[in-house]
Amino acid sequence: MMRMLATLLMALSLWALPAVAQSNGPLRIEITEGVIEPLPYAVPDFVSDNSAGADFGRRIARVIASDLSGTGLFREIPNEAHISQITSFESPVQYADWKAINAQALITGAVSVDNAGKLVVRFRIYDVFSGQELGSGLQFVGTQEGWRRMAHKVADQVYTRITGEGGYFDSRVVFVGESGPKDKRAKRLAIMDYDGANVSYLTDSSSIVLAPRFSPTGDRVLYTSYETGFPRIYVLDVASVGRRALETQPGTMSFAPRFGPDGRTVVYSLTQNGNSDIFRMDINSGASARLTDAPSIETAPSFSPDGSQIVFESDRSGTPQLYVMSANGGEARRISFGQGRYGTPVWSPRGDLIAFTKQSKGRFHIGVMRTDGSEERLLTASFLDEGPTWAPNGRVIMFTRETQGPQGQASLYSVDITGRNLKQVQTSTGASDPSWSPLQN
Amino acid sequence: MNTGQIISGAGHLALIGWALIGGVFRSDPLPFEVTEVTAISTEEYAALLARDSAPEAVASVDTPEPPAPGDLAPDLSSAADAPPEVTQPEANDSPPPDAVPDVSQMTPPDPAEVTDAPPVLEVPQEDMAAMVPEVSPRPNPRPAPRVAPEAVAPPEPDVRIDDVANPEVAPDQGAEVVEEPAEATAPEEAATEIVTEAEKLEQAAPSVSMRPKARPARATEAAQEAPKPAPEPSRQKPATDKSAVNDALAAALGGAQQNNDRPSGPPLTSGEKDALRLAVQQCWNVGSLSSDALRTTVVVAVSMGEDGKPNNGSIRMLSASGGGDTAAKQAFEAARRAIIRCGARGFDLPVEKYDSWRDIEMTFNPEKMRIK
Repeated sequence: MMRMLATLLMALSLWALPAVAQSNGPLRIEITEGVIEPLPYAVPDFVSDNSAGADFGRRIARVIASDLSGTGLFREIPNEAHISQITSFESPVQYADWKAINAQALITGAVSVDNAGKLVVRFRIYDVFSGQELGSGLQFVGTQEGWRRMAHKVADQVYTRITGEGGYFDSRVVFVGESGPKDKRAKRLAIMDYDGANVSYLTDSSSIVLAPRFSPTGDRVLYTSYETGFPRIYVLDVASVGRRALETQPGTMSFAPRFGPDGRTVVYSLTQNGNSDIFRMDINSGASARLTDAPSIETAPSFSPDGSQIVFESDRSGTPQLYVMSANGGEARRISFGQGRYGTPVWSPRGDLIAFTKQSKGRFHIGVMRTDGSEERLLTASFLDEGPTWAPNGRVIMFTRETQGPQGQASLYSVDITGRNLKQVQTSTGASDPSWSPLQN
Repeated sequence: MNTGQIISGAGHLALIGWALIGGVFRSDPLPFEVTEVTAISTEEYAALLARDSAPEAVASVDTPEPPAPGDLAPDLSSAADAPPEVTQPEANDSPPPDAVPDVSQMTPPDPAEVTDAPPVLEVPQEDMAAMVPEVSPRPNPRPAPRVAPEAVAPPEPDVRIDDVANPEVAPDQGAEVVEEPAEATAPEEAATEIVTEAEKLEQAAPSVSMRPKARPARATEAAQEAPKPAPEPSRQKPATDKSAVNDALAAALGGAQQNNDRPSGPPLTSGEKDALRLAVQQCWNVGSLSSDALRTTVVVAVSMGEDGKPNNGSIRMLSASGGGDTAAKQAFEAARRAIIRCGARGFDLPVEKYDSWRDIEMTFNPEKMRIK
């Protein structure tokens, strides 16, 4: 009896012990709501290691700041507010001084021109509040003329190390430059840096050009030209500006071309006997295949990044809507079911979203939806918004916005996929139909 | 077997059992009677005494006479009712079949004259349309550059942006205690959701004014006579301040455990935990995180000093779920920044309970923050 009692008491005490121990464990809390605000950072002028690099230090820092602040995810703390000055790239960082002005990230760098006349840019990124360097320092070497690209590359690194996703600053945009009044507008192909700098023209304005599209490597551009009086697809080499027309059957009109992710396959619309369907072509051999065969209008095809599917626009249900089919054609699945008309779908380079133009209740919108058509989200609204194109990291969309009236002017805008940070891309002339390149090597 | 030991053992067992589950058997406090007492004034008391004496009780009451035993019982017999006469309806002959209509003589109706002109629709009176106010279906979300769990109104223009709101302190010449002058601070403006251009309403105000209401009709007499329902006296519930009770309990329990030489105490109250949670989430900025990192939940451990400041070197990631390694790293860095930034001035935690918050595990779950 005594043993039983003793056993029982021991069992009781064992049962009670964990309860006591538990109260001494760590306190657990769950945080589910934070804030969304730009991350404050400081980028003091890069120090120059020699006199030849002196001029570039400030200019490179300014381009980096413009890139980062332009995303809407970062906010620069201006140089005037800095407490400590960076005089040497190697000297230790006074974290307390940067904490005091609430700079959460600090970018320091040094510029020099080596004996061969090459520009050398070194930089480091610091997480001020944890008092650590984010990643290790990096160095870029390039031509002095390419100093802007080097600044973009530094900014891409900063963006990637802080946000965890790829940058998009060292990229270019091909677009249609427009000049002259609306009824007699001259259009020619133009190319520029993503931020509107370094514009150059690829064609003259003798004939109307439309819808340029970059290849997956950014070395070639597909576009539609009315040179012969009928729309015809051309492929242009960006470096040499040489071009050739794609072979198509006589008596047909071809338009809305887009490269597949392999850089060899092209999908496009072809109108024959008044009916438009989607075709694909091997750009090297010229062999083409029909992907749709319907009495309705099928156009604006765009590949998924893995090349297995194509999203396109069709009015087979009565109004233009978006459909997805296999890259080899076959049964198509409708994905857009909202009110209004949908067009110009573009698959995101990350593969998770499809951007589109939507016309509803007399207004145009740029929007995004999941690839199954769910979670449709409209990002913009205006008299005329159209033709979205994705930034290489799938986080930003550029599109054409045209203002109302005979003096209406087309210009390029960009917007974050959350709908924030809508802003105009500065171009010297009117601009439409942008296509964003991948990141440059 | 020693009987004394058995009794002692059984007694102890009963005592332990009572201590563990005694609460179950604890009866409610005994009910006590409440007598309502009305306080009255001397005049009222005198008036009560001066009232007429109670009416005398009636001594005799006439009772009905009982029936005499010789009375005849009432005749209860009754004749059966005659059955009602039911007349059977006469069966009618089957109706003669309808004559077949003579269609040979029928002429089709003239086709109606149809004109191509659409009917002229009457335009509804404008003032009828104006009856319906154009009101936006829901309040227009206010755009702000910052998204936070709680909306913050734009601060005054000359106020410095800070995490906490403080009034401006200006030196007062006449004051005995000289207060240090301080700038006014206020939290930055914030909205609770991201407002895209497509969602911004162009004009929130109604574009048509409402038609003025007709003059009210004369109130009827009945309506005037209708008595106003007396307002019910609002019953005041005794305010039970949960946190106050918790605090009192915590203090009582804490007092019992003060014997240890180091500060120790009961677990934090839910209010104290909430305060800590709010303090950290104010600095948890997910605005610059990738969408992968926004799918990643990280559990971060931190050791705290007695002053409420986190030991920055101790912040480490215990686990991450939902994203890749890179995403987990970004998510952890954002969490670490939040703890360091908002902990720089020390979290407001009770020192007497230091043992319960010496080590903290914070789970940062960004699920709600993805698209807002």
